Amino acid sequence: MASRKKPVLMAQDKLAFLLSLVPYLMDHDRVSVAEVATHFGMTPEQIREAVRLIGVSGIPGETQSYQHEDLFDISWDDLEENDQIVLTHRVAIDDSPRFSAREAAALIAGLQYLSALPENSDRTAIATLMAKLSRGASGAPNQVAVESTESDATLGLIRQSVTTGVQIEFDYRGARGKTERRHVDPLRVESMDADWYLRGWDHLRGAVRTFRLDRISNPAITSEPIAFAAKDVSLPEMLFEGSKSDLLVTIEVEASAASLLADYVTEGAVTTHANGRVRTTIRVSHYHGLKRLLASMPGVATVIEPPEARRAVAEWAEAGAARYR
Amino acid sequence: MPVEERLFSLVLALLASEHGLTKSEILSTVQGYRQRFAISGDNSNLERQFERDKDDIRELGVPLEMIEVGADTGTNQNVRYRIPRGDYELPGDISFSPEETTLLNLAAMVWREGSLSGESRRAMLKLRSLGVTSDDPVIGYAPRLRVREAAFEPLNSALERHVLVRFEYLKPGELSARVRTVAPIALIQHQGRWMLHGEDQDAAGTRNFLLRRIVSAVTTTSKRYEPFPPEATATALRELDEIWQQRTAIVEVEPDSDAATRLHKRRGTTVLPDGTLQLHYSDANIFADEIAGFGPEAVVRSPQPLRDAVRDRLIRTAADHG
Repeated sequence: MASRKKPVLMAQDKLAFLLSLVPYLMDHDRVSVAEVATHFGMTPEQIREAVRLIGVSGIPGETQSYQHEDLFDISWDDLEENDQIVLTHRVAIDDSPRFSAREAAALIAGLQYLSALPENSDRTAIATLMAKLSRGASGAPNQVAVESTESDATLGLIRQSVTTGVQIEFDYRGARGKTERRHVDPLRVESMDADWYLRGWDHLRGAVRTFRLDRISNPAITSEPIAFAAKDVSLPEMLFEGSKSDLLVTIEVEASAASLLADYVTEGAVTTHANGRVRTTIRVSHYHGLKRLLASMPGVATVIEPPEARRAVAEWAEAGAARYR
Repeated sequence: MPVEERLFSLVLALLASEHGLTKSEILSTVQGYRQRFAISGDNSNLERQFERDKDDIRELGVPLEMIEVGADTGTNQNVRYRIPRGDYELPGDISFSPEETTLLNLAAMVWREGSLSGESRRAMLKLRSLGVTSDDPVIGYAPRLRVREAAFEPLNSALERHVLVRFEYLKPGELSARVRTVAPIALIQHQGRWMLHGEDQDAAGTRNFLLRRIVSAVTTTSKRYEPFPPEATATALRELDEIWQQRTAIVEVEPDSDAATRLHKRRGTTVLPDGTLQLHYSDANIFADEIAGFGPEAVVRSPQPLRDAVRDRLIRTAADHG
């Protein structure tokens, strides 16, 4: 699993965490701060802070004055000396909270989006899971739906390659138009909206490469063992990383469509607005990708400079138009 | 005192109280309020604080109820607040297996950027509360679904509160935007585009609105509508799929090109005996953009309007860059 930054929690998140932590601690007679931190994906200090707060919280009680028996209690010595959590007295809370309607909706839509994964191929199991989420929500989940797709055969093979520890091979056509047979150790499958990618160790290039799944053809499992597994390679969080050899291109785009190009905009780019259009600088690794991108946004985005980039787009579009004469 | 301590104390107090607490009981006794409560004085700041806290707590899915008791309704003295345990707690028969937990982790990861990231983060905390450890999938996945359209958040919130929305919509193929008043039924992602499925109040029928064609800010009205049954969403998805099934285009692709590889792999593509591809699409304008991107590698044979649309797009792009 990709390494991720520990979350910065807002007050609402902290409340959700406190309400979730109490039932967890009720089910664990004695548990280390480290184990709880791992389980909840937080830092040990975030856990200690929450446990200390729980330890002094409670209900006003009959006396309306928060007497000892109306408060949670923990074994303070265990916490301070052994970094262990032992809940010794509890009040008010018996069980885990329900999901909110929006939370359940987010998870249900997420499951729908992931329907192409081989792990999701059991549709009955997924339907059961979604029904449980709906029933476990405090209100009818908001209707947010994502079109489901068929299980992707390439994803199945990638999974098989990892499970059996052998390389996967496939024909790959790069954006420059050249097709090569690639041998790859799969490291991670990523997606960005409708587009799916495989990141893996590419034996042809001797480096980590990103492959678009829809540019892969004739995939097959080889008999060659993999050289690298996901745990051996630290993958950068960003799917697309800038490189020194990137080309800078100034473009003008309709303000309403500017977000479509946000991934390409260079860091610190000067952006100006005029007549509902935005002028900014994007980076591309070559003009082959640029011409395809711009031709798919007709009238919406225009290359301003350099002239070679304008020419690349113009020639691509002209060659396309010529086929209709 | 940290905000979460006050919120936590309020939830605990309301959960523990069987008959509920009045506002003045809350303000005078609950941790975080009582320290600032003036016995004979103006507590209006504290009351406003309580109103905001209630909203924050409800947003987490905690059913904070207001009940009126006694004959003299409408006065604050008779209003009591409580959190009914049965509506608060996850039903006892709901549990998640390690495999299900793994899938839910992935489903939450989908939203790690943008509008639903807070919801999915909090849902994961609640899931982990149950103590189930997930199996790590054999291969790491990093799925990501982004909602770039600013309209998503106000529409989702209107969907939750069942109130009508108003926005300017630029229909594909039209030159100027028109104001629409809509009862939202569902937010749907189909063929990679987000749309609002809703009942158009002026056209008296359901319509799909592409979020990226909403050209104004979304105005949320206070006019409520009767919630639609959940089946309405499934019906909308099915209808969208039927449209996609019905609309086909014949496209000739350059052999061994990027267009050939990618269009072959597009969902539902069939290769015809003469080597051309039959492709399905939902929206002619979006599909024409997609095909235009392939430049000389893909040529639409039919239908004629789509053929013209792609040609015009390519001529436009060439002219813009000439």
